Amino acid sequence: MKIVIAGAGEVGTHLAKMLTNEDHDIVLMDSDADKLRNISDQLDLLTVTGSANSFIDLHNADVYKADLLIAVTPYEERNILACIMAKEMGVKKAVARINNGEYLLPQNKEKIKKMGVDELFYPESLAGKEVASSVKQVGTRQLIEFSGGKLILMGIKIRENAPIQNKTFEELATYDTKIHAVAINRFGKNIIPHGKDYIRNGDIIFFITTRDYQNKVYELTGKEIFPVKKIMILGASRIAQKTIERLGDHYRIKIIEIDKEKSLEVADRYNNVMVIHGDGRNLDLLKEERIERMDAFIAVTGNSETNILSCHLAKKMGIRRTVAEVENIDFMAIAEDMDIGSLVNKKLIAASYIYKYTLGAEIAQAKCLTASEAEVFEFIAKENSKITSATLKDLSLPVDLTVGGFIRNGEGFVAKGNTLIQPGDKVVIFALPSGIKDLTKYFK
Amino acid sequence: MINLKLIIKIIGSLLIVEGIALLIAFGVSLLYMEPDVNSLLISALICIITGWIISSAIKNAHGKFKKNDGFLTVTLVWIVFSFFGCLPFILSGYIPSLTNAFFETMSGFTTTGSTILNNIEYIPHGLLFWRSMTQWLGGMGIIVLSLAILPSFGIGGMQLFGAEVTGPVADKLTPKIHETAKRLWGIYVILTLIETILLYVGGMNIFDAVNHSFTTISSGGYSTKQASIAYWDSPFIQYVIIFFMFLAGTNFNLIYGCFIGRFNKLRKNEEFVTYLFIILGFTAVIFIGLLITENIGKEKTFRDAMFQVVSIITTTGFATANYLNWIPFLVFTIFLLFFFGGSTGSTSGNIKIMRIILLMKNCRCEFKRILHPNAIIPVHLNKHSVSDGIIQNVLAFFITYILILLLALVYFY
Repeated sequence: MKIVIAGAGEVGTHLAKMLTNEDHDIVLMDSDADKLRNISDQLDLLTVTGSANSFIDLHNADVYKADLLIAVTPYEERNILACIMAKEMGVKKAVARINNGEYLLPQNKEKIKKMGVDELFYPESLAGKEVASSVKQVGTRQLIEFSGGKLILMGIKIRENAPIQNKTFEELATYDTKIHAVAINRFGKNIIPHGKDYIRNGDIIFFITTRDYQNKVYELTGKEIFPVKKIMILGASRIAQKTIERLGDHYRIKIIEIDKEKSLEVADRYNNVMVIHGDGRNLDLLKEERIERMDAFIAVTGNSETNILSCHLAKKMGIRRTVAEVENIDFMAIAEDMDIGSLVNKKLIAASYIYKYTLGAEIAQAKCLTASEAEVFEFIAKENSKITSATLKDLSLPVDLTVGGFIRNGEGFVAKGNTLIQPGDKVVIFALPSGIKDLTKYFK
Repeated sequence: MINLKLIIKIIGSLLIVEGIALLIAFGVSLLYMEPDVNSLLISALICIITGWIISSAIKNAHGKFKKNDGFLTVTLVWIVFSFFGCLPFILSGYIPSLTNAFFETMSGFTTTGSTILNNIEYIPHGLLFWRSMTQWLGGMGIIVLSLAILPSFGIGGMQLFGAEVTGPVADKLTPKIHETAKRLWGIYVILTLIETILLYVGGMNIFDAVNHSFTTISSGGYSTKQASIAYWDSPFIQYVIIFFMFLAGTNFNLIYGCFIGRFNKLRKNEEFVTYLFIILGFTAVIFIGLLITENIGKEKTFRDAMFQVVSIITTTGFATANYLNWIPFLVFTIFLLFFFGGSTGSTSGNIKIMRIILLMKNCRCEFKRILHPNAIIPVHLNKHSVSDGIIQNVLAFFITYILILLLALVYFY
């Protein structure tokens, strides 16, 4: 597939990195030649220096031959214009990054689509959604619902008190057949477990199960569900604002922002939150605002270090649920080690969101697993595709892929060795970065 | 930290490629059944077996392949290739000393074209073919070849490519390095084929035609005859060779552009236009000079002038006339050409036209900067400004080049 990525910012670069690992032809555009040179030293792609909204530069990037344009410059007007222009020049599909939630409203979406922009995405909004859901789902690091909750994927950190600690996965399977562990994140690395592997303290285990068995998973992992009512948010960034919108009115939210202007703006926009103007790194201020009474603490300032450290602090103060935005991918493993609860990275989230357009097969959903570059997909099995040809046991899937479960006739099932996928099933499949390129083979 | 494991593994698999090339030369020698048959076969087997042992013995070679790894690999490849490539010369006894054999092979792989042989016709066909082939492999670059045929180089491909491709900036034709390398080699092979056919039509036998197109396209200049191209007193052959030497000194990206119908890229490329005008200008000066001093007929004078100019500027080194016997003014003019070289991204050597252009333009800009200390005066090339980093790189290259030249001069003197 030929893909043109306009904008070598964080999202663009990360996408390019992910996509070059597969057999895609990537052209990366940016107006900063030095930035491009650095990237092209590391990645096998073509770079074009130029503006995303210039006909000549788009032509130089061979947009007319491309299958997909991903416009991810920092300016939404430029992104949308680039999509419209590229569409005119013959690109098959165009996706733009925006910073304005208004465009995403259903009544406006159609208008935008008419202009030639096939899909819009808003990284901060996606991240806000992620943050809100991880606050709601206490106990899990990540919770992804498939087909409206018919199947769920839960990422749970194993601690000392977990009954399944030091058991093998084979033993786990005997507890309940409706729970399937698809992956482990151990020391920042993703592994697909085998029956003989042990569950260790500190692992994050990803379970696939149905809604009815959700509580059983909490029981096995020794997690206690507590209600979240009071939330403190550090930083009134766009992610924070999107999170507030997602959370709704059922929470008592305090938000700390260092910038006066921004504090006023947020206070003006949301009247269900209390905005505190001050430095979130100031412990006295936090104590004054009764941080120890909070149920959840969310750190989403633009600075990853601040977020990590303040979450660490919050954990020390006894807050059970913390979420930190960590934009620097290299920090994620360190942050995971520091034990600061859920991590959110808007680049990874946005990249997986776009990712699905690059996969040829029919795909309903793609999500990245927290604190890692592994992905989980929801594919629709087509007639005569390879995945339907034999039972999972006999398919001999590569070691970096594993089927977690499937949804048939609106009902979720956990995959087993003797499962035979039928055409029309929605298959939840987990893939390490190295396995993604094999995926489409099974669904075509 | 240098990734030695991976570097050695890459060199191991490249040795297998060299072994296969030696096998082809062995095939040629079989046609003639001369005394070099065994030496070529043994060398091929040594290469393949050594390569196979190295690449299968090294397990778990992975991890990051950085820039310094790329440079080290490329440098090592030339040395290792020359060492293994000189085996047939030694084993057959035609060039018995290691020094001479190594010199001859290194001169081949680097397409320098200097030879220690003083009776080329005495060497059997298989070895001569191998000698030309070293230039052909070295011309487009062994690394580029392996990037084209061995897809496993995905890792670090860019580093290797950047370390081998000539010129201040490495350009890609396609997003995937593997595809770019394939296309470059595709053009290279097509040009070689066309030249072989034309030379054959012009009266060379098929062996000489293949050998000479190998060494023309690679701008190497090894001949199968002691008298070089002058052996064939055929204007047609000489014009064909002039044309292909010219192509060998052209940026292959531009030639690829012509293949896919983008001819206007030629016109817009400052380097190509300069390259063309330098050749035409020098040819005109020498043509007039020769016309006055020598009396060999207008057509022959023109042909001699152009052949020498193109041969020297592209660093090919074929000769149809002994320019040292010309008048001092013309010898000096020819001598100037030794400082140019072909275009970047071509198979030719030397400083290269693009660097010369940048040096000259930078000089002019420097003068302007003295007059207008506060003015921002970037150097432009192909209508884009060139970053200071590249200018500095070119200056450093030029100084190093001249220093090495001076050192060699002092040493030989």
